[in-house]
Amino acid sequence: MYFKYFNSLLLTIFVICTIPAIAQENQSIKIHGTVKDENGVPIEGASISIAGTINGVITDQNGIYNLKTKLTGPQQIHVSFIGYKTHSESIILQKGNKYQHDIILEMGYNLSEVMLLGKNEIQEIEALAYNVDVIDASKLKNTSLDVAHALDRVSGIRMRESGGVGSRMNLSMNGFRGNQVKIFMDGIPMDNFGNAFQLNNIPINIAKRIEIYKGVVPVGLGADALGGAINIVTNTYEKDRLDLSYSYGSFNTHRTNVDMTKVFKNDVVVNINAFQNYSDNDYKVNVDVADVNTGAYTRDEEVRRFHNQYHNETFIGNIGVINKSYADRLLFGVTLGQVYNEIQTAQRLVRVFGQRHSRSTIIMPSLKYQKKDLFISGLEASINANYNFGKEQVIDTVNRRYDWYGNYKELGNGNVGGEQSYTHSKFQNNNGLINASFNYKINQYQKVSISNVFSSFDRKQENLLNPSENDYNPPRKSFKNVLGLGYQMEQNDWSATIFAKNYNQVNNFIQSYRDSDNDDLQEIERNNRINNFGWGIAGTYFINDKWQVKASYEKSYRLPTGNELFGDGNLTLEGNTNLKPESSHNYNLGIAYSLQLQHDHHFYIDGTLLYRDAKDFIRPRLNTNQVLQTMENLQNVTNFGGELQINYTHRNLLAGINLTYENLRNNTKYVGGTESLVYRDRIPNMPYFYGNGNLTYNFKDVIQTGNQLSVGYNLLYVHAFYRYWPSLGSGDTKYGIPEQLSHDLTATYTMNDFSFTLEIRNILDKNLYDNFSLQKPGRSFTGKVRYTF
Amino acid sequence: MLLISVAIFSCSDDDSPLNPEQGDDDNSEEPSEQESRYVVAATPNALEGVADYLLSIESLNSGSVSLIGNGVEQDGTYRYYISNNNKFFSLLYGQGNPGAVTTYQLNANGGLDMISDFQAETVQSFTNVDDEILMTKISRNSTNPIASWYRLDTESSQIVDEGQINTQDIIDNDELAFFTWMTQVGDQVYAPFMSVKACCNDTFGTDYPDQAWIAVYSYPEMELQSIIEDDRTSYIGRYFTSGLGVVENGDIYAFSSAVATTNGEASSTKPSAITKINAGEEEFDDSYFFNLEEASNGYYMTEQTYVGDGVFVLNMDPTASKGAYTTGNRLAIVNVYDQSFVWVEGLPNEDAITSITSQNNYVEDGVVHVGVTTDAGSYIYQIDVDNASATQGVEIEGGTITAISKLSIE
Repeated sequence: MYFKYFNSLLLTIFVICTIPAIAQENQSIKIHGTVKDENGVPIEGASISIAGTINGVITDQNGIYNLKTKLTGPQQIHVSFIGYKTHSESIILQKGNKYQHDIILEMGYNLSEVMLLGKNEIQEIEALAYNVDVIDASKLKNTSLDVAHALDRVSGIRMRESGGVGSRMNLSMNGFRGNQVKIFMDGIPMDNFGNAFQLNNIPINIAKRIEIYKGVVPVGLGADALGGAINIVTNTYEKDRLDLSYSYGSFNTHRTNVDMTKVFKNDVVVNINAFQNYSDNDYKVNVDVADVNTGAYTRDEEVRRFHNQYHNETFIGNIGVINKSYADRLLFGVTLGQVYNEIQTAQRLVRVFGQRHSRSTIIMPSLKYQKKDLFISGLEASINANYNFGKEQVIDTVNRRYDWYGNYKELGNGNVGGEQSYTHSKFQNNNGLINASFNYKINQYQKVSISNVFSSFDRKQENLLNPSENDYNPPRKSFKNVLGLGYQMEQNDWSATIFAKNYNQVNNFIQSYRDSDNDDLQEIERNNRINNFGWGIAGTYFINDKWQVKASYEKSYRLPTGNELFGDGNLTLEGNTNLKPESSHNYNLGIAYSLQLQHDHHFYIDGTLLYRDAKDFIRPRLNTNQVLQTMENLQNVTNFGGELQINYTHRNLLAGINLTYENLRNNTKYVGGTESLVYRDRIPNMPYFYGNGNLTYNFKDVIQTGNQLSVGYNLLYVHAFYRYWPSLGSGDTKYGIPEQLSHDLTATYTMNDFSFTLEIRNILDKNLYDNFSLQKPGRSFTGKVRYTF
Repeated sequence: MLLISVAIFSCSDDDSPLNPEQGDDDNSEEPSEQESRYVVAATPNALEGVADYLLSIESLNSGSVSLIGNGVEQDGTYRYYISNNNKFFSLLYGQGNPGAVTTYQLNANGGLDMISDFQAETVQSFTNVDDEILMTKISRNSTNPIASWYRLDTESSQIVDEGQINTQDIIDNDELAFFTWMTQVGDQVYAPFMSVKACCNDTFGTDYPDQAWIAVYSYPEMELQSIIEDDRTSYIGRYFTSGLGVVENGDIYAFSSAVATTNGEASSTKPSAITKINAGEEEFDDSYFFNLEEASNGYYMTEQTYVGDGVFVLNMDPTASKGAYTTGNRLAIVNVYDQSFVWVEGLPNEDAITSITSQNNYVEDGVVHVGVTTDAGSYIYQIDVDNASATQGVEIEGGTITAISKLSIE
């Protein structure tokens, strides 16, 4: 009896549930109409969809569409087609009704923007759970920017440089700087590449896009980044292309870039990228000029830099095959390059050199292998390897003292010597690297990743002035291995990933010690081992098609580099083989909002809060007799900051600003047992509030149909900051870097395969400074011609 | 919109540098009848971004001064200080690079005014010779064995002369002479030196650890007159440290720490001791030998400060932990006339001291002002040499004291 009742209840529930479904099926709503362009021409292939559903239809050759839906009430309809602005509109749907809806699409200028149904790669990456920014390098290719200066326009990143083209530079990201931020090229760590191949000499044209991961670094980029990573993704090899450009500008600056890919029959591919930078960098600076004899200063003289030439020549060649059964891509390559760099000043502008210079080379064979569906469906493999035979040398063999006018006096009565210290040393780090990563797609929603990076460092050093010292060349070796394992879950409106990393390092060197038995000095070969585990988690949720939230956390480590362990050949850095890794807890919380008003006003707003709690920062101190610097695990630092980006597009107008505020605080309470007065004070000599503004307008059909003129403006702002602890000393005696404001203008005219660019940087010719008040170039002009096909 | 937000932020920030409203004007206090101020240099207790601060203080005997909002900021740390001609000179140790030397004077309010700066080489020895400062940059590189000296006129704050010394030619061995310091003796300059290999991964090591030398130079020509040698001690003075004291009658007392090294290890077999050169003579007095290790029962001297009437204050450290760059945390008073030795009472325990001034102590009226830092803070102690007792004076909050001096308001 009881059982029967239960059965009938189930039946009742079943009936109640199914009836509306059947009813709904019967009451499906139809929307139909045509899609035409502004001239009334029907558009074939435009897509029409209702927001939040995966249903979509495509117009036929007459521009006609028929869409069915069960949804009722107010709904957003998106209509899009490549080359046109996306049309969005809200309509109210009622059961059983039919709607006729004709749509006119406006011409758009930005292809990526209309590809709503198929996200482009950049949008896909930004939709990931990580706190990531992507620079679309294609938009910057007509400028004369190098990769470093392109990064300087990203929120949260400050590129600090000591002068003009090729000068020493340092990136800081959310309070981390130098080696704490890892830089990759196509997923391969670049720290092995030496001075001959660095961000400050790589033209933006080499890149397709640049991904910037803040705080949390995905497993695929397997390396020991403390506070973030930058991945430069280069152009792909799949089709024939040629990109030639040359620019000439102020201070006798020439830059040339050739990027060429040729795909032969049998899918053999050859890619060549060659670039050259040359600059006299002879810009004017304002400096107190010291008399070489009396030491007396002449105040605030405007002088030209006279020993500041920089040039580099780099060739990257790759040959291999694509689209084979055993490899989607298998490339053998070599990077060859050289740098000549005249050193005009030391850390401070008052210290001037006239002959000191450095040279670097890179000779780096490489292997790249990629395969999707390796052995089994869903398994993707990527293997890279390279070895750098490059050498670095510093030459300081002229015994003179220069002043800023280029005058000098001979020192040492004909004896040998140097301007800073008599040096001509050469060293080679013999960096090797193997990087393998595998992704396996378990199903539509889940993916596991494993990645391993092994790198080796084997310093060989030569003193060309005192060859007898070369006999004493003890082992200076370091081996690093970083293994990462990750799991990713992706659903329609959310995704999450969790990962763990193991950091391993073995440092091999000679240590002297006193034997207790016979009191003789003995040498022992040591192998110091470091083994740490880090982990992280990241998640994102799309609240609706306008709002996205992201949150992530990572416990990360950064292992000491070869130079930090073994010095730089007694130029400026003495090694410290006792260094421990730096570590940090990185938290990010971000929210993004996109908004469209009146069809063609698009806003995108992205805000991020971040918190960093870092320990054992590796920082330089002077060594015992205060001649060289040596690195030590010194400081604990916290950073609670935020970033805000606002982008706006309207027809041919594109505008954006980004602002970054970083509250970097000293978290080292006790120094040498005593409570520090500057505990929780702001970390000095770091920019903490800065931003960029940009405005671009595209004029269509200028002079001739199809030709485009694009005019862009960029503003860079850095708030003033103190060089030493803000709270100490009386205010009027403090040293600081004043507020920096710089305006750049770019105009590009594009016709057929050619583009012509004129660039003015630092329009107002303001004095711009950086670390230790090193002055950067004033107003400069550059013209660039580019041919692509 | 961008311009507006930038403008707002740049006005509202309290950390804005170069803001004249911030902080008090060079710690000038009420004008007072006192016509002099003590100048105290302090290095903040921090690990990076460190600059030295110069404080002008009315009394060293009591009270407290904080570095927060006080003091004239110097361009970085690793600075050395010397006063001459009622001016205070702040020298940057620039790692082989020339750096700015800034000169200060007291203004009518007792605050420090920077009156000039000029560029000078990084030097390892600087010493007053009448109203000039003799600065010497010394080679530690056997491939370039040239020391350069510079004479600074303190009136004009300019280098008035310079010259070179080949340090390979001074001693008759294959090593370089490395001047530990220079000291004016009458119208000459005495330059004790250590012998260093200046090469082969043992730059400051020597194969001659049991020998003392003093090179005697004429002034202002800086021509080598003679070399005074002694084999009863290791070298006189230490790296960057004065090892000579000239007493009122012209006798010269020489201090050896006996910290010569070979391949990074202490190698001298001689004790830390005081020897003597009689006034007017150019040789050591064989009859005078003050063995400090015996007198102190197991300590060696690291630095010395002359007080007067044959009395020196010595920084002492246990011989068991000898180091060529260590500063001894225990103070002793010696009278070189009667070779008496007495420990100073009233200072914090030597193990508790993290930093103590040595070469830059200030001496007046038989009292030596010494800066001492412990976990409890930094204080200037007054050492009464008659009673061998120390009293705690002014506290310098947040910094390690590196130099104490005194200037008059002109």
